[in-house]
Amino acid sequence: MKKFWRCFVCNDVHYGVKSPEICPSCGAKNAYVEITAQEAQKMCRVAEVKMDKEKLRAALENFTESNEFRLNPDSETVDMLLEGVLTNEQNHGLKYCPCRLTTKDFAEDLKLVCPCNFLIHSTYKERGECWCGLFVKR
Amino acid sequence: MDRLIMFYGRECVHCRYMMPYVEQLEKEMGVVIKKLEVWHNEKNADLMRSFKDIISRSCGGLLGTPSFVNTKTNGALCGEVKYEKLKEWALGK
Repeated sequence: MKKFWRCFVCNDVHYGVKSPEICPSCGAKNAYVEITAQEAQKMCRVAEVKMDKEKLRAALENFTESNEFRLNPDSETVDMLLEGVLTNEQNHGLKYCPCRLTTKDFAEDLKLVCPCNFLIHSTYKERGECWCGLFVKR
Repeated sequence: MDRLIMFYGRECVHCRYMMPYVEQLEKEMGVVIKKLEVWHNEKNADLMRSFKDIISRSCGGLLGTPSFVNTKTNGALCGEVKYEKLKEWALGK
């Protein structure tokens, strides 16, 4: 089961089954202690970033850089989808895919948060694009 | 209950792509397809969720948009589909 962990040196927060041996932020060894979700949420507020469309586009471009996929070259499509993702975050709390609907099962709906694990989608396997078309195979 | 329903998302590119075909079908067949937006209207979203079993069968287990539900035949389509397929869905074939 995944848990929250905090580096006691620099307050780096990690969410995972195990804590990292070496903190990727400050390099401290064996520095993590388990914390509650509430603590993690509060600690992350220190670095809270308001994300607009251009910031999100840049983050996703950075994410795709060393991968076999990239953002759809059709900028109008990307624009509309990023608008939807950000609107969903504002209205529904997370960056849900605008081309699928949540089920109201929170754990299940985490699979819909963009970028989702689209490598397993049939659309990616057959046509080389994620369900909504935001990411396409190079 | 409306017989033919299209569930769509305002910022869904596949929905935008399908909209002219839906309007063409309405004109050609003289039918009304009720268009319900699901990301900005919780009532519509709940109605779509109530068709989860029918929709997810044709949608790889998902509640994808657009979804087309024929409430008379319980037939459903999902995503971008060819005009002829949409017509067959409306006719209940």
